Amino acid sequence: MNKLRAWLLRFGGLFRKQRRDRDFSAEMDSHLQMHIEDNLRAGMSPAEARRQALIKLGGIEQTKESVRDGRSLPILEMLLQDTRYGVRMLRKNPGFTAVVVLTLALGVGANAAIFSVVHAVLLKPLPYPESHRLVMVWEKVFLPNYQNDENNPSPGNFSDWKNQNTVFENIGAYRNRSFNLTGSGEPVRVEGEQVSASLFSVLQLNAAIGRVFTAEDDQPAGQHVVVMSDGLWKSRFGSDAQILGTTILLDGESYAVVGVMPPAFHFPDPDDQLWVPIALTPQDLANHGSHNLLVTARLKQLVTAAQAQGELNRIAQHLTELYPDTNTGVKANVVPLFEEIAGPVRPVLVTLFGAVGFVLLIVCANVASLLLGRASARHREIGIRIALGAGRTRILRQLLTESALLAVLGCVLGLVFARWGILALKLLSPPHIPRLDEIQVDASVFVFSLAISLLAGFIFGVLPALHAARGNVNDSLKEGTRESAGGARLRTRNLLVILETALGVVVVIGAGLLLRSFLILESVPLGFQPRGVLTFRVIPRGEKYSQLAGRTAFYQQAIKHIQALPGVKSAAAVSFIPLTNSRGSKGFSIEGRIPPSAGQIPMAGYDAVTPGYFASLQIPLRSGRDFSWQDTPQAQRVVIINEAMARTYWPGEDPLRKRIKLGTADDPYPWWTIAGVVGDIREFDVLTPPRPTMYLPISQADDSNYLLRDWVVRANGDAMNIASSIRAAMREVDPNLPVSRLRSLEQVRSISVAPQRFNLSLFGLFAALALLLAAVGIYGVMAYSVAQRTREIGIRVALGAQRGEVVRLLLGQGVGYAALGVILGVAGAFALTRLMTSLLYGVQPADPLTFVCVTLLLGCVALLACYFPARRAMRVDPIVALRSE
Amino acid sequence: MGERADVWQGTLALMVLKTLQALGPLHGYGIARRIEQTSGDLLAVNYGTLYPALLKLEQEGYISSEWGTSDNNRKAKYYKLTRAGRKQLEREAREWEQTTEILARFLSPGKESA
Repeated sequence: MNKLRAWLLRFGGLFRKQRRDRDFSAEMDSHLQMHIEDNLRAGMSPAEARRQALIKLGGIEQTKESVRDGRSLPILEMLLQDTRYGVRMLRKNPGFTAVVVLTLALGVGANAAIFSVVHAVLLKPLPYPESHRLVMVWEKVFLPNYQNDENNPSPGNFSDWKNQNTVFENIGAYRNRSFNLTGSGEPVRVEGEQVSASLFSVLQLNAAIGRVFTAEDDQPAGQHVVVMSDGLWKSRFGSDAQILGTTILLDGESYAVVGVMPPAFHFPDPDDQLWVPIALTPQDLANHGSHNLLVTARLKQLVTAAQAQGELNRIAQHLTELYPDTNTGVKANVVPLFEEIAGPVRPVLVTLFGAVGFVLLIVCANVASLLLGRASARHREIGIRIALGAGRTRILRQLLTESALLAVLGCVLGLVFARWGILALKLLSPPHIPRLDEIQVDASVFVFSLAISLLAGFIFGVLPALHAARGNVNDSLKEGTRESAGGARLRTRNLLVILETALGVVVVIGAGLLLRSFLILESVPLGFQPRGVLTFRVIPRGEKYSQLAGRTAFYQQAIKHIQALPGVKSAAAVSFIPLTNSRGSKGFSIEGRIPPSAGQIPMAGYDAVTPGYFASLQIPLRSGRDFSWQDTPQAQRVVIINEAMARTYWPGEDPLRKRIKLGTADDPYPWWTIAGVVGDIREFDVLTPPRPTMYLPISQADDSNYLLRDWVVRANGDAMNIASSIRAAMREVDPNLPVSRLRSLEQVRSISVAPQRFNLSLFGLFAALALLLAAVGIYGVMAYSVAQRTREIGIRVALGAQRGEVVRLLLGQGVGYAALGVILGVAGAFALTRLMTSLLYGVQPADPLTFVCVTLLLGCVALLACYFPARRAMRVDPIVALRSE
Repeated sequence: MGERADVWQGTLALMVLKTLQALGPLHGYGIARRIEQTSGDLLAVNYGTLYPALLKLEQEGYISSEWGTSDNNRKAKYYKLTRAGRKQLEREAREWEQTTEILARFLSPGKESA
């Protein structure tokens, strides 16, 4: 306690120093006087009395100094002094300070921005209470013709897991569902979820206003109730405090609002605005074959994901025995929710983090080089200070304080850059980065930035400081002598050139590999022509469209309307346009074949389409015919398959007029006759190769699951030209159906490669930064070296050396160092690019073309950076050079 | 420097506290004189260590100081014991007695069997 008090007092001693000094002088004075008086009383002469007293008192100044030290904290005081001095030095060289601070800020800013993403996505727990206990539960399917580790669970499996497990505190199911929200203004399409009442207990979140669902809500016979997001409540309902109990119209049906969620809540997708009870029927709960749910559960206290996995697998095994048709090869897969969200982006973020780390190291090398350059300008000053008695540690401390000051300034500006960076990131909103709204410059980002700045300050400061403090006093003081430590300094700077070139090569090769991947990705044939196609979403839901006939009439009428518009070539609708959703597949049976054993049933993806779909997307028809509106439920049921399906299931045969049935051959479903074969297209994304797929005509697809959502319109010219007339046409057909996601198919394609483009852009940005910094570094050292050797060059020229030879000499040296750096960098890249394999597509991590190109690029940059200073050497006038001494 | 100085500092602090307890408020010069007298002039108090010691004791809250007037009407800074100082004095005196006792046993041979 008392010690702490003493420390605090001493800290306070840093202030009001003069008053305390005066006080102590007075005390010393009174002490002296009393002593003299005593001595006088003892009979000494006044002079003697004073002399004796002074002798006894000893060195007054030393005593004062020692009391002064005791009164405050000398180390801190020295630090303050160093800081003041440092600030003065930095202000005296504003150009130097600006360059260093800016360079640092770029490095620190890039690091802070990436770290804020890493922190929000990979480090921070999810925004739910005890979120580490949250897990996703998937089906893990392993069949000869179908494998999926994260297959959507069927309602039946969900129900059985729920009833039989002992590892979950609670388990909830949900599935995505969009709604046409009508009434009170323009009709809009709103994304939402059908959720089980238990989901909110799993997340342990409650409504901000009102309540979430009860078990009674979540019954097939339950009332229509809805919970809305804070965002929708604010934007559409003006934060109406009386919203509870009112009804809103979703797909033409009224739902009573029972709750509004807190602002940050949007589970599972960021754009979810509405939640309604899923109300699974007993039939649903017995269905083990339709895989259409997402399942999230909360582990009981002290239960691990692995234990839950074990128990669910036991349950799954039991289910396989009970339901061999649907559950053969189906196990469970328990994935922590955090991992589910963070896992896919971890490789990207770690790679980017590595790249910015390298950029920061290059920044350090550059700044160190600059400081070394300046140290030679300051060697006299430092020499004088050493001669005047400054200890070498004191000099070291002084120089490191200056570095730390630069680091702190760089950190502050860097944080500003980071904020801009994060802002830009949010504007770009890369679709693959989750939890974007949680990314911010918070305390941890601040601490991280400060820490790396100070670390950087130490890294770039320590070498120059050691050099400076080691300098020979005599040499630096002798007027006119060339500074002797210069050689050592130059050697260190050359080392730095090698280092930063090597680091730059690694980052640029990384960017090069991503660029190659992206170019390959962009050139993958899609199987359809997105250019000139406009797409939008209109989903016919509500009473009018509950029957197939009503829906078919709507599609037919809308397409007729659109095709009548000027500039429109053709129009069609489809369940999902390519490159947007990943969809499940269906098992089917082929007529006349031996029924396959359980779990061996042929599988294919499926889409429902209107006639004209293939023509609109320019998907080539290989044989047979397209659908027509004459394919009514009364006519023969027809299906069109893709080439992959023909190849897989009818190798060497003509599949036309063959018949298939969805489900097993004994199921009471109709047979479909294959009427055509079309070309393969990239369905989910550009990367996934085409899979066997069948297309059903919407006019015969009587299951209401075959809803067409997306529309495609091929325009004569630019797709966006017809956008407004499309809106008007659709409003004429049904004013209650909102038009959403109106965009060109080219945009859709571009969005589908947005993650790769984003990774490439960011990595490219860092690579450009690295390249620039490396070039500046090489240039700086070369320029410095030429300036140092002006005299030598002058002598050489005076002795008859050809100027070309001189340039070659200098150039050779600079390029030599750079070449060494490139070699080291290539070796480093060889070792490191393997870590980014998962980000590459169609390129090996050790892609020779990339390596060669980057080597050449770096070579050219180094050559240029050396050439300009070397050219200056060529112009050296020997007379001037020799006289300058 | 090092440990010996610490011991000296420690004993000096103890002497200062004891002096203040015995004589009441006193200025630095008076404290020094008193210590020298009490030690029978065996100790010479170095002012270069006395004042830092006083400062430290004050910072630790064992003594407090204020300006006052001496017997012969001279302004002087007077130090006096605080309550914490009194306790500290008791504690340190006890410890010191213990230490000397132990050392005495070591230094007077033949008695260790007891």
